[in-house]
This record gives sequence, structure tokens and C-alpha cells, in this order.
Amino acid sequence: MQLNRLAWKNLWRNKRRTLITGFSISLGVFLSVTFTGTGDYGYTNMIDASATMGLGHVTVEAKGFNETPSLDKRLKNSEKIREQIITLPNVSDATVRIMGQAMFASASKSVGGSFLAINSATESEKINLMIRAIVEGELFDENDGRGIVIGSIMAEKLKLKLGKKIVYTTTDINGEIVGEVARISAIFKTGLDEVDGAMVLLPIDRVRKTLGYTADESSMITVIISDQRRAEELRDQLTTMINDPETEVLSWQQTQRDLTGLITIDKTTNYLSQVLVGLVIAAGILNTLLMGVMERTREFGIMMAVGMPPSALFRLVILESFWLAIVGLIMGVMITAPWYWYLLEVGLDFTEMFEEMGGYSAGGVLIDPIMHIRLFKESIIAILSGVFILTLISGLYPAWRAVKTNPVETLKTI
Amino acid sequence: MNQSNQPIVQLTDITRTYIQGEIEVNAVSNFNLEIKQGDFATLCGPSGSGKTTVLNMIGALDEPTSGIVSIEGQSLSELSRSEISALRRDRIGFVFQSYNLIPVLTAYENAEFVLALQGVKPAERHDRVMQVLKEVGLEGLENRRPDEMSGGQQQRVAIARAIVTRPAIVLADEPTANVDSATAEALLDLMQELNKNDGVTFLFSTHDQRVIDRAKRVIHLRDGQLESDVLQ
Repeated sequence: MQLNRLAWKNLWRNKRRTLITGFSISLGVFLSVTFTGTGDYGYTNMIDASATMGLGHVTVEAKGFNETPSLDKRLKNSEKIREQIITLPNVSDATVRIMGQAMFASASKSVGGSFLAINSATESEKINLMIRAIVEGELFDENDGRGIVIGSIMAEKLKLKLGKKIVYTTTDINGEIVGEVARISAIFKTGLDEVDGAMVLLPIDRVRKTLGYTADESSMITVIISDQRRAEELRDQLTTMINDPETEVLSWQQTQRDLTGLITIDKTTNYLSQVLVGLVIAAGILNTLLMGVMERTREFGIMMAVGMPPSALFRLVILESFWLAIVGLIMGVMITAPWYWYLLEVGLDFTEMFEEMGGYSAGGVLIDPIMHIRLFKESIIAILSGVFILTLISGLYPAWRAVKTNPVETLKTI
Repeated sequence: MNQSNQPIVQLTDITRTYIQGEIEVNAVSNFNLEIKQGDFATLCGPSGSGKTTVLNMIGALDEPTSGIVSIEGQSLSELSRSEISALRRDRIGFVFQSYNLIPVLTAYENAEFVLALQGVKPAERHDRVMQVLKEVGLEGLENRRPDEMSGGQQQRVAIARAIVTRPAIVLADEPTANVDSATAEALLDLMQELNKNDGVTFLFSTHDQRVIDRAKRVIHLRDGQLESDVLQ
């Protein structure tokens, strides 16, 4: 008779109790999958959305630009570096940009804002939120030096419409004030007031000329990757590859500190909630296993009397908690799978609630009002092993109590 | 197999004291006993005479306050906890008054349990279990669980479990107490046959006159001391 088989049979002595405990384990799986899955999806969604707002998942820029952005901090050999980056695995896109501050004026009014000078040939909706959010007109052609794309709020403030002229002034590499006239080729509306009211897109070649940059200079190369979790790995890889003390490679965690902070706090709260839920469930498992042990002290006495060593008895109770974990996990998967599928395919729509709250952004990033779910492979492993280990740990004390059985006391007579 | 003079169990100057409140009670005092291979002996005496205490100490379930308990020449006080477990597993068989089978296991699995603890290979386990179940008259009932068997059948499984490891001695506490007369006689027939044919040594603790009448050796205890030791 193998201990495993005996443990399995023991588990089903009290079917109702085993099923109730299995259900509590499955509830733990359900909550953990929901918390972690919405986190995995939500964080990725926010990080990816943030990456398309200008800085990408990884940014290559002139040293010090991130701390004190200035148009005189220029990245040399931008195009050459970009060509190298784009060939790397895991990199889905890389584009050269100039980022700076400017004043934008119409005939009646002027506002301050930021410009993102882009190469329309290498930009796309996929990597640029503002292009994706165009509601009127079209992105300027790469040969159209006079095009400009502005946000809907800026257009309102300046009382400008599509095709109208706008003047922008900034400082060149020598610190001289320079200005240009552009014509509005498109208007975007992202839903983020700070973007719609203060960001514009300009053609990079025209901006280079205006600022006095050479054809190969820029503020940064924005790199988009297929898996945001590999940003730091790519940052290190690019730092080694570029190997230039005047160039800095930064991950999104470094360039978007508000978002990083928000995610860190949210993750910590999430983990703490899960730990608390885990402890409550562990107490239930411990109770079940302990009751099972206390009810069988006489039986354990017999087993020890016929020669079962304490270590084997300990293993028997641990094996019972092992099988309980397996049962709980199987029940958990059965209960959670339909819920997971629903959130994955359909999701929960919080649009109305978000609108009542006056928008749906956090950390300066748009949040998807439809709550979906996604579990990374490592999260699945962490949940399954976490629940499994928790159940096994819950079995330690009952196993220890079983080993402490005194055959004489329990049998009274042999 | 013939009875030899080789002592399997040796109790030398055994005293076992229990503390009840603030009073020390000698359950057994200055007790000496030898059980030889092939014995079919019974400990008898009134309640509180020390029968159970003696049986517990021979079974390595309890330790004497003073004195030496030896099984096959090995003093139990010199053994570690795991060695004691191994000794009980390999050299001592137990038959309990209330059968004490493991309820979730079948007759076959109960008998197999100790062999599995010994690490006997499955094929050999199967042969030995089937053989012993046949010996105790349980052929065809291998797959029944304890709650599907009569008291007599359960006690037969307990005997099978006790002898399947070929122990040096089987300790049986009131083995006939919970069965009817006919079953008691049948169980005693079985144990007598095992003693006679296979040389299995039995030591009983009992009040049952039928057991006492069949025993080859009757050891009387009174107030924790040996009153008489008679060969019949």
C-alpha cells in the first residue's frame, strides 16, 4: 500500500469537508487570477498606451535629456542607431523624434505647449497615440514641411480649424528665438486634456532646419517592443551596443516615473490583498487538516504500533494536504476558466462609471474602460505554486501533531 | 515447528510506576518473565493486575521505570525511536481487542500495510498477502473494507496483518472479547494452528476462560506481580 494511495483515500473519508475546503482553495485561485490577471492586463495596457505617447518602452537620447530636456541636447547619428535597433529581436518599432517646448499662436490667442517632431514615413497609428486619435484631417506628408497636427483642446483655445495657419516659436541650438508658420493638417482627440491641449506633431525635417540640427540629429529614438516586461533587458542590451558615454538609454520605468509609481503602489496593494485572502484560506485548510488528524489519533496510534515510523506518518499527512491542494486547484481551474474566458473575450464595461468620474486616465495615461484580463505565464506559475505551497504549509502543523501521537495514550490497551 | 528454549522476550526486574495526581502507583513491580519461541501463553489476572502494562512494554509501546525489556536479546532501552518503530514493524505482531483495522483500506490492503512499510516488493507482497489471507480463511474477501465484514472476519484480517511479516511474537489483547462464541472458538483454532504448524509465538492478555483453557502456558498476575506461571 503506497502512502500516496492511503493519503488519497483518507482525503475522501469526509467528502463534504474535502469539497468545502477544495472550494475555498478554488476561491483563492479565482480571486488570485482575477486580481493578478486584471493587473497584468491593466498594467500592460497602461504601459503600452504610455509608450505611444512619445517616449516608447525604451528611449535612446542624449545624456541628461530626460532630467533636463533641452533642445541643445542632441543625439548624434540618430538614423544609423535606429537602423541597428530596428533589426533587434523583440523590437517592433523604432523612430527618431525631436521633442521640445514652444509657443503656439493664432491670430487671436497663443498657448504654450510641447511639440513632437516626427518622420511621417516611419510613424504609424500603432506607435503614436496622437496619430491614432486623429478625428479630422490626415497626418502631414513627409514632404509637407508646413503641416502640423494639433489637439482638439488647443484648436478650441486658439479658435483654429483644419487648414488654418498657426505660428509656433521656440529656441534654436544657439538659444535664439525662431519661429515658423504651419498649416493644420489634422486634429486629434485622445481624451487626455494635457495631451489634447498642449501637444502637437510637427514634421521632423522642417524642425531640424528651424532649430539648426543636422539631418542625423534628434532628441531621441523611441523604441517600441512587443513585450513591455523586457524593457529593462533591452535597455541594458542597447547601452552595451551603443557604448557611448554621451548617449543614455532609458526604460519606461525611468522616463515615466508617475506611471511607475502608480503601478508599484497598485501592485503592492494587490499583493497585500492576495496575501490576506491567502491567509484566510490557509486558516480554513489548516482547520480541515487538523480536524482530520485529531479525529484519527487512535488510528495513528495503531499505525505507529504496527511499525509506521513518525517520518512516514508525517509524510502521510503532508501527502493528504498535497492531494487537497490538487483537488482545490482542479476545482479552481474549473470555476475560474469560464470567468477568465469572459473577461478575456468580453470584459467588464466601466465606460459609464468612468465618464461620471470625469474621465478615465491615471498617471497621465488613458485607461481602457473595458476591464479585460490577461495572465502572464509567470503569473500562472506564481498563482498555482503559491496556492499549492500555501496548502502544503497548512499541512505542516497537523502533520506535526500526528507525529506527536503517543500509541499508548491513544490505544489505552494494545 | 517445535518449541525451542530460545527466549524471544525477556523482562528483568521490571517496575513501571505511574503518577496519578500526587500518588505514585506501581502498575508492575520487580517483574520477571521469559517468553520462548513457540509459546502459546496467556497473561491473566483481574483488572489492574498489570497485564496491559506488561503487554505494552513487550510491544515497545511503553517503557519501564526500571528494569530491562529485551526482544531477541536486544535491550529496548538501547534503541532509538526509529529503531523501536522498525522493531515493532519487523518483529512484533499486534492483534487488538477492537480489531483496529484502517477503515479506508480493504482486507488485502490492511494485511499488506506493514509489508509496504517494510519495503517488500509488490509482487512478493501480493504472494504473501494472498497466502496469509488464505491461511486465515479470508479467501475471496480481499477487497472488502472493514465496514463490509463481520467482527470475526475483521479479527481474522487483524491476525493476518499481525502474522504476514513473520514476526518473532504476536501480542494479542483480548482477541475474543468482541466476537460471539463460535467466532471466538474459530479464531482460537486459527491461532492454535498457526502456533502449531508455523511456530508463531503468541502472548495473550485475557479474561476469557476459553483462551486460558487453550493456552499452553498461563501466567497469573496480581497487583503488578507474578503470582504463578503454569505450563498446561
